[in-house]
Amino acid sequence: MGVDFFIGLFLATLIVSLFTTRLYRLILWYSMNSLVLGILALMVGKALDDKAMLITGVATLVIKAVGIPYMLKHFSEKFHFVRQIPPQIKTHYAIILIPAILVFTFYLSEPITHMIEGNANYVAISISSLFLSLLLMMEHRHVAPKIIGFLSMENALFLLGITATGGMPMLVELGIFFDLLMAIVVMNLLFHKEEVQS
Amino acid sequence: MMLTLLVLPALVMFVASLIKHPKIKLLLPVSSFAILLPIVKLFMLPKPYAIWGDYLVADRLDTYVLLVSSLVGIGVTLALLTLDKHVKVTAKAYRRFYRFFAIFWVGLIFSILANHMGIYWIGLELATLSTVYMIKTNHTPAAHKEAWNYMIVGAIAISLVLFGIILMYASAKPILGEEAMQFNLLLAHAKEIPSPFLFEMGFAIATVGMFVKMGFFPMNLWLANIERASFYPVAALFSGILESAVIIGFFRFSKIAMEVNYAHLFGFVFVYTLLTIFIVAFLIFRAKDFMRLFSLSGVEHMALIALFWVSGGTFAALLHFGAHAFLKPALFLSTGVLESRGKYRIAGALRGYSGKKGELFWVVVSLFLLAIISLPPSPMFFSELYGFGAMIEMAKQSDHMLAMIAAILLLLILLSIIFYRFVAVYQSMKYEGEEVEKKVYASELFALVLFALCLLVLLLPVSFSYLRSIV
Amino acid sequence: MTAYLLTIFLLLLIAPLLLSFIKALKMQLLYKKPVSLFQGYRNFSKLMQKETIVSEEASVMTRVAPFLVLSPLLVTLFFLPPVVQGAFYVSFVDAFTITGLIALSTFFLMLLGLDSASAFGGMGSSREAFIAALVEPAMVLTVFSVSMMAGDLGVGQAGVNLAAHFPQEHTASFLFAAISFFILLIAENGRIPVDNPETHLELTMVHEAMILDITGVYLAIIETAASVKFVIFASLFASLFLPFGLQYDVPIAVALFLAKLFLIAAAVALIEVNTAKLRLFKVPNLLGIAIVFAFLSLITFYVLGA
Repeated sequence: MGVDFFIGLFLATLIVSLFTTRLYRLILWYSMNSLVLGILALMVGKALDDKAMLITGVATLVIKAVGIPYMLKHFSEKFHFVRQIPPQIKTHYAIILIPAILVFTFYLSEPITHMIEGNANYVAISISSLFLSLLLMMEHRHVAPKIIGFLSMENALFLLGITATGGMPMLVELGIFFDLLMAIVVMNLLFHKEEVQS
Repeated sequence: MMLTLLVLPALVMFVASLIKHPKIKLLLPVSSFAILLPIVKLFMLPKPYAIWGDYLVADRLDTYVLLVSSLVGIGVTLALLTLDKHVKVTAKAYRRFYRFFAIFWVGLIFSILANHMGIYWIGLELATLSTVYMIKTNHTPAAHKEAWNYMIVGAIAISLVLFGIILMYASAKPILGEEAMQFNLLLAHAKEIPSPFLFEMGFAIATVGMFVKMGFFPMNLWLANIERASFYPVAALFSGILESAVIIGFFRFSKIAMEVNYAHLFGFVFVYTLLTIFIVAFLIFRAKDFMRLFSLSGVEHMALIALFWVSGGTFAALLHFGAHAFLKPALFLSTGVLESRGKYRIAGALRGYSGKKGELFWVVVSLFLLAIISLPPSPMFFSELYGFGAMIEMAKQSDHMLAMIAAILLLLILLSIIFYRFVAVYQSMKYEGEEVEKKVYASELFALVLFALCLLVLLLPVSFSYLRSIV
Repeated sequence: MTAYLLTIFLLLLIAPLLLSFIKALKMQLLYKKPVSLFQGYRNFSKLMQKETIVSEEASVMTRVAPFLVLSPLLVTLFFLPPVVQGAFYVSFVDAFTITGLIALSTFFLMLLGLDSASAFGGMGSSREAFIAALVEPAMVLTVFSVSMMAGDLGVGQAGVNLAAHFPQEHTASFLFAAISFFILLIAENGRIPVDNPETHLELTMVHEAMILDITGVYLAIIETAASVKFVIFASLFASLFLPFGLQYDVPIAVALFLAKLFLIAAAVALIEVNTAKLRLFKVPNLLGIAIVFAFLSLITFYVLGA
């Protein structure tokens, strides 16, 4: 039931980040999201006695809940991001769209209910988190919220990995982290507006 | 040992890019040719040959795709020697380009040889992220915007693939445990998967991710715009190497899905690819410059490959894939020369070449242009024959013969629209426009001749029989 | 029966104390000398003695509406979940009825605001309608979802069921419903960040704007109605979302319940001190979160059983 509570918090932070209009607040919600995810990984890892998941849980807490938000803040100061990010979808449409997405994804995951060992609800919630992160990416015009949407998508995938399969092989988890770090490097390069040499 | 030999050229390129000597890049084509040695060795070894435990296993499909991509890599390295003669690029950006090209190549070698779904995905992600910077080497605002566009949509597509992989792993984990990540085991135990719906959902999501990456509906123009905004070698790398890795993933996943539920797989891929070809045919008709024309044509060919593969025409799909992987990068590399007097000048692009090199160039490029629209004796012609034959074969065994014939007729009409446009482009290139002097360099000519030779080798009976023996 | 009536009387009595407590806590936190805790009662008796003046343009509605604002709330008081063991009325009052009664009260308040034909009143009424339109669906969904989880549609019985047996397997939906209901508590009672209860500036008035033109007895009744509304919401939150302590003896149960109410009041005061009031057209963002969470809670319960 602790897992239930934390998965509820995971989805809650994601939905709140869909309505926010300030960049730093969005980074805070992303950080909370990763924090809850790390706690979940540690809880499930302890229950299954899976060392790989405990390590990745700690890595999530350190890298995704602290490291990446700090770096995003650093980037936003260095490259002067726009910090006011109103969503392109008006609130009254979002109020209808988000429940519609939730219903759609829960309906999609209905047949899996009997097929997964463990709780099938968690798979449904991770699929809906994936779609909601896609919505987060699509509803903002500026680049920084799109990056945070992509990072939330990685969080949803990690949640799926924890709950659906009882942990992905260590190699894959490490590979995913490595790719995430490389993505940050590439982003740093991309933001550098080099002078056009003619 | 084998693995180090395979990644050695890429490592050499990476190291060379850190040295600031101007002539160092002449070393690179030589070192890139060295990749052919381990590949030839791989061809001779008994398959499946484990290169790195269970993670990287070379079977017949692997080695073929690896050979094709490596040849494309060699060709692009050759053409890169004269990049700065055609476009404006600083020395620093040039070196960064080589660095990211090296990372790209390593990622793709891992991806192609992978037997483990996780390794496949990591290699693909590495390749995607390194291409982002390669797009941005071109310092225009359009390139900057397109690099971001590519990053965002590419990241979404790759995440969808990971999502599908996780679901497929979850569906097979009850019977295979941690080894459910391996393609060969999944294929062997496909019928025993306890929850086929979960596997199919994972496959559908992963396929959507892979199709988006290759530029299918609805992202048709995304790829075209990206290739327009970047340099021509980047486009060559996309259509030659990156798409090879994505399509081999599709081949492997669909083979497993065919065991699980053929009807669903066929319906899904059939409708998707037909829709894509429909839209792309009309987009090609309206394309006004070389890059967009070629990249849209690339999308259309990839859709045909996917369609042939799921209809059971594996030989046709592989032949088409090989031919496309040689023709498309060759055409992209030649746009470096064709557009040397301006981007939107299709008319007269094949005129104004003098000397032996110029003559050879325009003959080879015209042959490529005609080959890509499946005029005989291009391998594309044969592959389409065999492919349509396989589709009819498959329809004979089910009740949908009439629907299949209608679909093939529709496909032929769409292909003829593309055919018409390409012929019109060729006419305009050859017979209209002014004669403006264009210069061809030896290295890129060498690359084009190399591709032409590979294409001819593909037509030999021994290669046909090898392709038939794959799967 | 006596316990039942006594608890209702207690709730009525506590109402002004709670609102004064919030105000005093806010002033204490802002380093001001806090107002006395009994200021609510003093205001009431002062207003009862003042002369009741009615505007010339007002119709009979101004004379009648204050009573109609207070009575649905008094009726709702009778149907809340119990404070002590066994002190509740088994009834049909479910999510729809409670929301309907509170909405009836709000409706008459809006008519009251329109009646005096002043610009402030009309503006307040339209803003209140704007907020109420978003709050009501959320409230129905939230209370409905909680009563489904508790196994009984009647709110009183639901409170008893939750105290007896808390459904551990539905923690996620419960959490969502709690977040949603707390946002509604703030919105319906006109606290910051939705409405500033201490202001008389046109830019930020909603509730105050509607009652700007009434005086004397009528104003006393409307202020009582506002405090009773807060008690209703706080009591619902305490019984439904902090459902423990019903099994103890009467004095301890009552003390526990009062402690819960004061805790909720303190939470509201803390939020009021630390947040700025939202611009009016940003309020739908906040209430949108409440609606989505309410919906999410219901759908998580139904489809997933989580």
